[in-house]
Amino acid sequence: MPSSASQTSAEAELASLIVSTLNLEAPAASIDPELPLYKEGLGLDSIDMLEISLVVAQRYGVKLRSDDADNASIFKSLRSLTDYIQTHVAS
Amino acid sequence: MSGQSRTQEWASRPERGSTSAIKLATWIALRLGRRVAHVFLYPVCLYFLLSSPTAIRASRGYLTRALGHRPRLLEIYRHFLTFGSCVLDRVYLLNEQETWFDISVEGEELVRQIDADGGGCLLFGGHFGNFEAARIVGRRYRDVPVSLLMYEANARKIRAALAAINPKLEAEVIGLGRLDSLILVAERLRSGNFVGVLADRNIDGRDMRRLPFLGAPAAFPQGPFRVAMMLQRPVVMMAGVYKGRGRYEVRFELLAPARDGRPADPQAWLDEIMRRYVSRLEALCREEPYNWFNFYDFWA
Repeated sequence: MPSSASQTSAEAELASLIVSTLNLEAPAASIDPELPLYKEGLGLDSIDMLEISLVVAQRYGVKLRSDDADNASIFKSLRSLTDYIQTHVAS
Repeated sequence: MSGQSRTQEWASRPERGSTSAIKLATWIALRLGRRVAHVFLYPVCLYFLLSSPTAIRASRGYLTRALGHRPRLLEIYRHFLTFGSCVLDRVYLLNEQETWFDISVEGEELVRQIDADGGGCLLFGGHFGNFEAARIVGRRYRDVPVSLLMYEANARKIRAALAAINPKLEAEVIGLGRLDSLILVAERLRSGNFVGVLADRNIDGRDMRRLPFLGAPAAFPQGPFRVAMMLQRPVVMMAGVYKGRGRYEVRFELLAPARDGRPADPQAWLDEIMRRYVSRLEALCREEPYNWFNFYDFWA
């Protein structure tokens, strides 16, 4: 198992997708998978979240919906978002 | 207030009047009817004129640019009265009491066409005139509501007020305070809704660009335009211009057509659409100067 600070390969892939989509300055590999994405932490805003939802739908075919009561935990971190995508991508 | 790190001056100012005051005022306004209620605006606006030096300063600064001369106190009073009229009219408009009004529409064909095509569109307005007059036009065509996207602190107050005025409109207000707020906007557009955005004020605390506006650079948020670029739906300028005596002229104008895919040069696209929006807003301010309702130093 990876330690909390190192990315799995799925997390690394999503991290580089997010970094390139949002033109973030931080290198993808440097993103702590447990760091909060929204506001404090990585400092993303609701526009960035929209951008992420669009690119995730495009790349993985996974729909992130506004009426999902679990959005706060789904979008909590790179790790939680990766988990969500992995459990929904096949089904 | 939670999680709002970069509040702007206008957002951090305490709002005058609480929800119960709004309820009471609404009840009185509806009992009196529009004509009688409007008489009360004269003393109310006079009170605000005497007690709000900050708003006077903002009005004077703006009117100096829009009118081309330093305004007399009477002109500032007229500015306040126009604002008061639009606020009061909202009560009647939200209650769908259209009989008080004479609402004409320019550019109706544009909206009709977008509606016929089935996809939603973004209606970009500003703190100018009466957005509600424009929304009521949207509701004439269709049962699908026209949603309104707004700053979360205001959204909460307006939702509370709407619960008192016309509860079925409550769900139409989308607050920006949630991480999934804009995902909701995307879904509503996809299902053919029209979504109104007041694009002259900041929506997420950053990403401002300065553009020439009435003779000097003023900061406009790039956020709404970035959202428009991502969602690729048509962007329509919308204004409900108050002409006095219950007359409104609703204007629709195309700022950007629907797109299939992102523009090749995103920044050039953003610059161009923002420039169009600001120059339309400027033309409206020159034409109907008293309709501008940003009572803070917009050029700060």
